[in-house]
Amino acid sequence: MTRILIETLAAALGSVAFSLLFGAPEKYYLECGLTGGGGWLLYRLLTDFTPFSPILATFLAAAAVALYSRIAAVRRRCPTTVFLIAGIFPLVPGAGIYWTVYYLVTGEASLACSSGAAALKAAFAIVLAIAAAFELPRGAFRCFAPRKKR
Amino acid sequence: MKKSEKRRLAARRSAAVSPAPCADECAVMEVAMKAGRLLLENGAEIFRVEETMERICRYYHVENPSFFVLSNGIFMTGGGSVSGGRHFAHVEHIPVKGAQLDRVVAVNQLSREIEGGRYTLSEADACLNAIARMPGKKRWQQILASGVGSACFCILFGGSGMDSAASFLAGLLLYAYVLLLSVPYMSRMIGNVLGGVLASAACVALYGLGLGDDLSHMIIGAIIPLIPGIPFTNGIRDLADGDYISGSVRLLDALVTFLCIATGVGVVIALYHSMTGGGLL
Repeated sequence: MTRILIETLAAALGSVAFSLLFGAPEKYYLECGLTGGGGWLLYRLLTDFTPFSPILATFLAAAAVALYSRIAAVRRRCPTTVFLIAGIFPLVPGAGIYWTVYYLVTGEASLACSSGAAALKAAFAIVLAIAAAFELPRGAFRCFAPRKKR
Repeated sequence: MKKSEKRRLAARRSAAVSPAPCADECAVMEVAMKAGRLLLENGAEIFRVEETMERICRYYHVENPSFFVLSNGIFMTGGGSVSGGRHFAHVEHIPVKGAQLDRVVAVNQLSREIEGGRYTLSEADACLNAIARMPGKKRWQQILASGVGSACFCILFGGSGMDSAASFLAGLLLYAYVLLLSVPYMSRMIGNVLGGVLASAACVALYGLGLGDDLSHMIIGAIIPLIPGIPFTNGIRDLADGDYISGSVRLLDALVTFLCIATGVGVVIALYHSMTGGGLL
């Protein structure tokens, strides 16, 4: 459990670091960290405490990240991209790609195949999750808009 | 009833005619183009580019504006009977380059404010020029962020504290290379292959010096700053919006980058493997 907490903190801090790298404005760092950390926390909880496969967990976590990014975008009146990229980054199968190459080079073809397939499936799960979350009409998020000061 | 209708028609006609002599219309479209270019080259989705350009054209009354936006180019035409049958056409090639999201945010904000009626055309133009000159993050900040990101992601993928310290150093080195060599002097493909080589070679060297417990976790952390997060995410968004051409180009861009990084890492692992006989890894 401590491990999960440490990882969540790392995910949040890492997401903020990459938001800076992509030039996101400072005032959105808090939400960027929340999306990154929250997405990873959900992913870890789903893989550890439910019988869901890592692929399904990736899908659900990416969908949650995409939905939260849309909410945050409406609330802060700025493009969704800023939050979405920060949140998706920890879920992108970077490690899967590394292991695929590693097994390919060390001559373990079947392991290479299975980790490559897992990385592809995870990437596809992210694609589906984002596509699904953006299928909801804009109006569905209007209730999160900030009140206008008049 | 009839009278009011006639008046409304006349009002509409005069509203359409009055603000649009040709020069003006051209200027509006130049401004729209500038906004579109800023958005596209800094990592906005296709639909946002189209929407922003349309907003600007609608607010300043351009007749029949139409746009065709690709991941690396914008085509636009407009004008017609009001401007004396003269048309405006503009094609601009916009090569893919590094994204800077604060510019996207700023242009997005500006287009809302234009719609709220807070800017004249020349003010909007001046604002866009200011956005184009917005300084990016400083180099040392970017390098530091890359190191911190590497260290964090190393922990995320199972590394220990020492692994993450090593990843931090490798991440710093990697981004210094990206900013000083790869971006200014190299093609994207070669730059990424060499980036993968450099990151993993740095990890191997640190591992040899005794820093870090598990080479794999160190390398995974160190290569993360090269991962093409923006093309990947935007490609998906574009596909979801139905912009298949731009979406697939951006996803292809992400895929090629992934493959290049993998190649670089693979070369180093293979060398290391053959030198150590595979026992240590």
